[in-house]
Amino acid sequence: MTPSALIEESDLHALVDGELDPERRRKVEDHLLQHPEDAALVEGWRRQNAALRAAFEPVALETPPLSLREAAARPPAPPAGQGPIETGAIHWGRPGAAPRPARKLDDIRASRRRQALASTLLTLVAGATVAVAALLFLASRPPAQHPTLTIAATSYASRAGLTYATYALDGRPVEIDAAHGGELLAWLQERVGFARTPDLTGVGLRLLGGRVAPGVASPAAFLVYERDDGARVGLYFERADAGAAPSGQRGQGVSVIEWRAGGFAFVLVGVMAPDAMQAAAEAAAAAVVAVPPEAK
Amino acid sequence: MGRRSDIIAGLGGATPALRRYARALCAGAGQAVADDLLQSALQSVGARIRSRDLRPADLAEARIETYATLVAFAEKKLAGAPGPASRHPPIVHGLASLGFDERAVLLLVSLEGFGYDAAARIVGATREAALARLMRARAALGAEGLRPVAPLEGGRRAASHLRVVK
Repeated sequence: MTPSALIEESDLHALVDGELDPERRRKVEDHLLQHPEDAALVEGWRRQNAALRAAFEPVALETPPLSLREAAARPPAPPAGQGPIETGAIHWGRPGAAPRPARKLDDIRASRRRQALASTLLTLVAGATVAVAALLFLASRPPAQHPTLTIAATSYASRAGLTYATYALDGRPVEIDAAHGGELLAWLQERVGFARTPDLTGVGLRLLGGRVAPGVASPAAFLVYERDDGARVGLYFERADAGAAPSGQRGQGVSVIEWRAGGFAFVLVGVMAPDAMQAAAEAAAAAVVAVPPEAK
Repeated sequence: MGRRSDIIAGLGGATPALRRYARALCAGAGQAVADDLLQSALQSVGARIRSRDLRPADLAEARIETYATLVAFAEKKLAGAPGPASRHPPIVHGLASLGFDERAVLLLVSLEGFGYDAAARIVGATREAALARLMRARAALGAEGLRPVAPLEGGRRAASHLRVVK
């Protein structure tokens, strides 16, 4: 980095962080025009910021657990070993009254212990009863076929199908069209954390553009392609945990092909013939793992 | 009285952002660790406001105090915490490789959008010291490995991963 005599490195950081007044900002921006190496630094830091937001913004979009939402309003748990409130009430309840004899206090405590023990036993018995009833009920039913797998795995494909139904056939299917590819890529990179617009012209599909759409767990990207005869295909992707295997989904008149690559779930959705969809999916799958042809 | 309870209730609305910060500060050490830290910080700040030990003028100040408490708790708790798993994106590994002080300031400015003065106040440093940490953090993080997805395999192999759902 070669900050000029007037512009220091801290000014470059302040530019990125919005800490400059308008006049100073103009000077720093002029400096960047003449010093591409510093402009590259600034661009790098902005990319760091975008990567940080892409990685952690989904956390802020989740609904926090109730324990956190109410944590500030709730007093912390009392320290262990603090005596029961009733003990104090016995002494302070009536001014001037003689304290109860210690023996009586012991009786009260013993009685409380008995009550606690009885209540625990009752709870255990009730719990066991419920468990036995549940086991009998479950044993009387036919076994479900991998219920958790089905629920977890259908979500990407079903979300992609919903996104396709919402946008692909709409009069305005995309937010940013293919003519503004750089803008679209920057947007997807920032919000989704991955930006690639596979070229599917080899299989007769022209990119119309794309948008950020609601995903299963985080913002998703949805690209729309069109064939000369007007058939449209959507390519959906969002960050996914690597490893979990995808599974089947009931589509509604559309073909759905799902795959995973590089920590993302990709789903191609459309109403073309299965072999045409397969070819398109193969082209897209190859394109998304290939090194990007252009930097932006 | 009413104002104190309003501020405490307002902290509930700030929880999603605080949770984002806690998760990033833990740099892959785990959701449970981050949520526990935040819960302790929120409870501590709530209790101090109720007991008038802390008298924030408004919600913004209470929010800054909560971030400060979270940073203080995290610094103790995260010493020796496990690093991120391989499934985490490169940026998380980059964060984990930073010193705690650098990471705390970088995230306050870059992720949470705090100005330099507020960030310095939260980490209990001067503005110059906080800026120096920010500069060190950005230099150490570099531009390496910021691409969220590295090409993992060749295009030919990708086709075998396709699954026709319908």
